[in-house]
Amino acid sequence: MERCLAGLRQAAEFVKSYRFEMTDDYLSLIVRLEALPQNQSGADKSGRWRGSRRYAESLIARATLLPRNL
Amino acid sequence: MTHPLAPLARALAQRSARYVLIGVSGANLYGPGGQAVFTTDDIDLFLPPDPDNLVHAWSACEEAHLEIWLSDEPLDRPRDRRVAERIVERSALTRATGQDDLMVDLTLVMKGFDFEDVWAERRTFIIEGVPVPTARLLHIVTSKHATGRPKDQYFLATHRDALEQLLKKGE
Repeated sequence: MERCLAGLRQAAEFVKSYRFEMTDDYLSLIVRLEALPQNQSGADKSGRWRGSRRYAESLIARATLLPRNL
Repeated sequence: MTHPLAPLARALAQRSARYVLIGVSGANLYGPGGQAVFTTDDIDLFLPPDPDNLVHAWSACEEAHLEIWLSDEPLDRPRDRRVAERIVERSALTRATGQDDLMVDLTLVMKGFDFEDVWAERRTFIIEGVPVPTARLLHIVTSKHATGRPKDQYFLATHRDALEQLLKKGE
């Protein structure tokens, strides 16, 4: 238990001190993504919210439990 | 299933209200087909510090059947230019809420950026036939970095990893 708590304390310290670096590699990744044909003005993004929590919850809410075939 | 932003975006477009979609919802639109989508509880719209535009935005929210809040209280009525001027003076955030816990923040502040700079380089994506002005991904992540909140740091780290994997797959 002590070791677990110490591990959690270390993780909490790490989160507090963590600072994301905007490296050149990351920025070039962003620029590459922006340059994709599907990311230009006029692109249809109607389906792009389907990973959202609200969408997942709406699917779960509409789910029907069926008896399992054994 | 209707995109939660579509009815509001339609009403905003009808009023020629200026805004750009920012935040995680904006970043999600850039992920290659159906991937790199991050969960978020809200939609962030960045508006210029223009009282008339803000009144148009509130009117669009009402047409889309959204309730408008200032802090924890419903926004004063009438929602006119005088109220909007006070909000702009304070750079205060108003929030629109609707069905299924929809939460849309109308913000006048995007850390590190002026509205006109973001607007000038926006992409206009189409959602269910409606134009949705969206900030450049570079502007979204740069602003998140400048904000420095732990949740933004976490998003950026996760986002970078996801993009690296996706772009490697595409090579």
